Amino acid sequence: MTRVVVVGNGMVGSRFAAELTDGDGGRFRVTVLGAESAQPYNRVLLSQLVAGQYGPEALALPSAASERVRVHGGTVALAVDRQDRSVLASDGSRHRYDFLVLATGAAARVPALPGLDPWPRGVHALRTRDDALAVVAATAEARSAVVLGAGVLGVETAVALSRRGLPVTVVHPAPTLMDRQLDAGAGRVLAASLARLGIEHRAGVPARRVRTRDGRLTGLDLDDASVLPADLLVVCTGTQPRTDLARAAGLPVGRGVLVDDRLASPADPRVFAVGDCAEPPEGATGLVAQGWEQAARLAARLRATGTGPGALPRRRDRVADDVVKVKAAGLDVVTMGVSGARVGDPALRTLRLSDPDAGRHVEVVVSGQRLVGATCLGDAEVAAELLACYTRGTPVPADPARLLLTPLAAVAAPRPAVTELAEDAVVCRCNGVDRRTIDRACREGATTVEEVAARTRAGTGCGGCRADVCALVEALAPVPAGTSPQPGPGCEKSVTAVSPLASAAVTSAR
Amino acid sequence: MDVTEAVATHCPYCALQCAQSLTPTPTGVEVAPRDFPTNRGGMCQKGWTSAALLQTPDRLTSPLLRVDDELVAVDWDTALDHLAARLRAVRAESGADAVAVFGGGGLTNEKAYQLGKFARLALGTANIDYNGRFCMSSAAAAANRSLGMDRGLPFPLEDLRGAQAVLLLGSNLAETMPPSLNHLAAVRARGGLVVVDPRRSATAALAADDDGVHLQPVPGTDLAVLLGLTHVVLRDGLADRDYLHGRTSGLDALAAAVAAWWPERVEQVSGVPVAALERAAHRLAAAAPVHGGDGAYVLTGRGVEQSSQGTDTVTAAINLALVLGLCGRVGSGYGAVTGQGNGQGGREHGQKADQLPGYRSITDPDARAHVAGVWGVDPATIPGPGLPAVQLLAALGTAGGPRALLVHGANLRISAPSAGDVARRLAALDLLVVCDFVLSETAALADVVLPVTQWAEEEGTMTSLEGRVIRRRRALPPPAGVRSELQVWAELAARLRAPGRWDTDPAAVFDELARASAGGRADYSGLSHARLDGAEALFWPCPATPAGAPEHPGTPRPFLDRFPTPDGRARLVPVDHRGPQERPGPGHPLHLITGRVLQHYQSGAQTRRVPELAAAQPEAFAELHPLTADRLGVGDGDRLRLRNRRGEVLARARISAAIRPDTVFVPFHFAGAGSVNEITNDALDPVSSMPEFKVCAVDVVAEDDPAPHAGAPVEGAAR
Repeated sequence: MTRVVVVGNGMVGSRFAAELTDGDGGRFRVTVLGAESAQPYNRVLLSQLVAGQYGPEALALPSAASERVRVHGGTVALAVDRQDRSVLASDGSRHRYDFLVLATGAAARVPALPGLDPWPRGVHALRTRDDALAVVAATAEARSAVVLGAGVLGVETAVALSRRGLPVTVVHPAPTLMDRQLDAGAGRVLAASLARLGIEHRAGVPARRVRTRDGRLTGLDLDDASVLPADLLVVCTGTQPRTDLARAAGLPVGRGVLVDDRLASPADPRVFAVGDCAEPPEGATGLVAQGWEQAARLAARLRATGTGPGALPRRRDRVADDVVKVKAAGLDVVTMGVSGARVGDPALRTLRLSDPDAGRHVEVVVSGQRLVGATCLGDAEVAAELLACYTRGTPVPADPARLLLTPLAAVAAPRPAVTELAEDAVVCRCNGVDRRTIDRACREGATTVEEVAARTRAGTGCGGCRADVCALVEALAPVPAGTSPQPGPGCEKSVTAVSPLASAAVTSAR
Repeated sequence: MDVTEAVATHCPYCALQCAQSLTPTPTGVEVAPRDFPTNRGGMCQKGWTSAALLQTPDRLTSPLLRVDDELVAVDWDTALDHLAARLRAVRAESGADAVAVFGGGGLTNEKAYQLGKFARLALGTANIDYNGRFCMSSAAAAANRSLGMDRGLPFPLEDLRGAQAVLLLGSNLAETMPPSLNHLAAVRARGGLVVVDPRRSATAALAADDDGVHLQPVPGTDLAVLLGLTHVVLRDGLADRDYLHGRTSGLDALAAAVAAWWPERVEQVSGVPVAALERAAHRLAAAAPVHGGDGAYVLTGRGVEQSSQGTDTVTAAINLALVLGLCGRVGSGYGAVTGQGNGQGGREHGQKADQLPGYRSITDPDARAHVAGVWGVDPATIPGPGLPAVQLLAALGTAGGPRALLVHGANLRISAPSAGDVARRLAALDLLVVCDFVLSETAALADVVLPVTQWAEEEGTMTSLEGRVIRRRRALPPPAGVRSELQVWAELAARLRAPGRWDTDPAAVFDELARASAGGRADYSGLSHARLDGAEALFWPCPATPAGAPEHPGTPRPFLDRFPTPDGRARLVPVDHRGPQERPGPGHPLHLITGRVLQHYQSGAQTRRVPELAAAQPEAFAELHPLTADRLGVGDGDRLRLRNRRGEVLARARISAAIRPDTVFVPFHFAGAGSVNEITNDALDPVSSMPEFKVCAVDVVAEDDPAPHAGAPVEGAAR
């Protein structure tokens, strides 16, 4: 039995353990050390927990089904002994491994602002479920909130707090909101959208100091000497890969734990890193899609060989796992791949639809027949199509400007009255009867829906066109002299009859 | 029988089994619809024109034997003697499993039953499977796993009339069984029709036009959409907690599994906008009984089932229905819309590789003992499970694989996936035998062709999509020289010195079927032709009752009190989306999906011979988006070449904004260069062995484009 120790029971570590032991023929025994609870949860939805859209229990994710996976919740890995191939845990236990997988994730990065030491009440980071629950609890008492940092999480959190009825101001040091994803034009559309949701923003103004009184938050001083009074501050200023364990074990560490394109540490072929703590050659996105792809890839390879770490598959050439979508009610912001504002490649075409007054901004970047990047604000349907095109690599239209609007049939145009239809328009789908055929039946003497049915079979399938046939009968049937041109009673009756066809007999056409 | 009297029977084609009356005329029969709960007196163009097939000029009326590479007419004794001798020889040389049987979901219950028995007793082979493997196997596997029983619709179709919402996944009822739309008129009028389809099909357009919802996902991602719908229901507190507590098991594991499918992730995988997903989930939930709604249904069709994750997709549909508290309640539920005429009965009576009559498992010792008792044989003589359809076809003519194949009620040269490979396997056989009433594309390849009866010429029963057992009745005698399959098997069984009874009277075969089914999941033991002739609305299970006791009334709605699982609860089975086996990539940039048109049925062997239908839909077409056509430089009506690593297909362009720009649709009813199954994927569902007909990767060019096809599809699943 091959022993695998996984450090970290977050979204990526737990997924790796489950995938490794699914269909491995019983070859692996996995120990998972998790600093938080034994049941993994969906960290991606924490801002939605703050928004009240999810209860805490709704975030629970599957645990590995195999009894060969042992999860130690509330247990921190203290040290790795690579000579001994073991991990020392905070409960004093020691876990031997044949392979070690680091999935320690990332911690909230908190700027070194005066006033944060000691940590005042009313100030929260947002990285764990406990963090989110603490923010939710704080909203009960708070009168106004400030979100520091307008990245994806900051924007989501601002909308979430606003949905709880708090006045919210977002503070962002760069002039453009979500500047890691958006250029200035898109950022302006986002700012306007936030304003429409009643959310204030202060972009291009760094924070200077956290104000406190009696160990409790009272406001935030900004670099332009303004002061934002607040009794709730949520710090959303990015994350920091957790690398202490790896560094102490003598493994190479950059921003994250350095791994090669097979996810192995260059210093130790028995040690791997996946998810937010890892720094692969192509760079970390901080998105769970990348971590899950790594977990699946590493698990598949270990399952396939079970032994030597030498032949792990390389990352596929093109993994479109850098999609960012803001999860916030009332905001449609999606980005993927490259942005036109920061590429100078002559092989790329950038096309934009800028419609700030309607809160819409769509940009696509095309290379040959491929969509290599897109930014879409304010048009959810276009965004969904761009996502499908980008993630699948399907070809773009001959004129890529078509990507800027939805290609799918919108809500159908109102169908014209049946009497306005073209002669070859099909009136009865079930029997393929066009208007010309029904017209002929009427000219030849059919005066009721039944008579039209007997001559043409129109209306004899699902019956859905019988009102149309009735209208044609009324419009076309010869009206005997002296009678009223009102709808005939036979026609009306036949439309509403439950089962008008049971007695109809029509010779089958040859 | 008075030959001028109208005979009450049902349409020869799909599982809706519209009631017809056939009045014999000097030249054939006159067809008229009859009132019946499923079709309410309606009939589509196929049904109206069905009589034309009785007069088709190429009707087979004599057995054919291949002599010097020509099929020549011979008399029945010659054909049967020759066939029996060949079968004996193959068995003697290579063992009983060297003879294989391929059945069909269009065969009557009596034939389906007798064919399974013929394979096990007369041929002694384990290798029997049928084209229902291509049709209902995923829905069947999922329903058995989750609900304990697979009856396509566990409620009368008419129940849909009272629904407030109907979620229809991968089913295009407006083309496949048009009269059924009658039952959806009320739900459409309430804006409650929700259709999931990569195309704005005729059915999806009904939803869109009537203020319903059409979700248009990337092909092969329906499972992700279902996980997302269930996620939204749980997230928004819309689940029926009392029902889940009282009637199901496994909620915690299910909730954890769908927690990983938040709407934004579903959008990224499926292309379905978050808001549309939420709208659909809320529309459905509002109709659920727990929220005071009038009822909701979740229905699946082949579009989502013919997938390498078809069983899990249906499971996810059932999970959604269970979370909303729909199954086992009057006015709500989950159902699979069975396709073939006897697709339901065809999967119950033992022509499936792993089954014995009564929907019993062939590996269950009690089931074997019971059936052996009815057959009058030692249970040990009944073979074990055989190869499922795709594996069976792949093994034909290979070392150790079957050397002979008997085909009944199937045209697998057209209907099997990657059909070019199937043709090569058929060519490798020592003996191919086809029973049919026309020279289908498969029959044309055979060594022996036996001419058999068609619908209006025979008696029997069919089990419709609702699980209702209905009578097929004879309106006119078959042409001279034509025999029923029951006669064929009796003759062969005698020549092969098989044990057991080999009745040729369908009523007698039904009685034996009923006894064999007694105590099984699909219990027909309380039914007989005579009883069905008296009351035409009996649903299985309908067990026999003791002498003197009232007859069992049949079961229109199983599950009302309990599910037929060991603990009586429905199981919430967690599933995950993996994605299709084949994805677009360089050289194969588009999704190919397949489906039906109203005028044709299955491989088209029947409907292509009806002049009116053939005139309306004469050839294969490829529906593609205007932007795709523009990119390819093709116009409406141009001839297109669709190709991938399995082969190529020619089809005429139909340009329509109803389809996604990344997808092309081709109907599967056509033969020759227009036979789209030449290029569909035979990747299999690991549970049901259903092939992945409904999505593969393809390149599309103008027909005159000479560039050879290059590159291979990118393998791997979407995340």
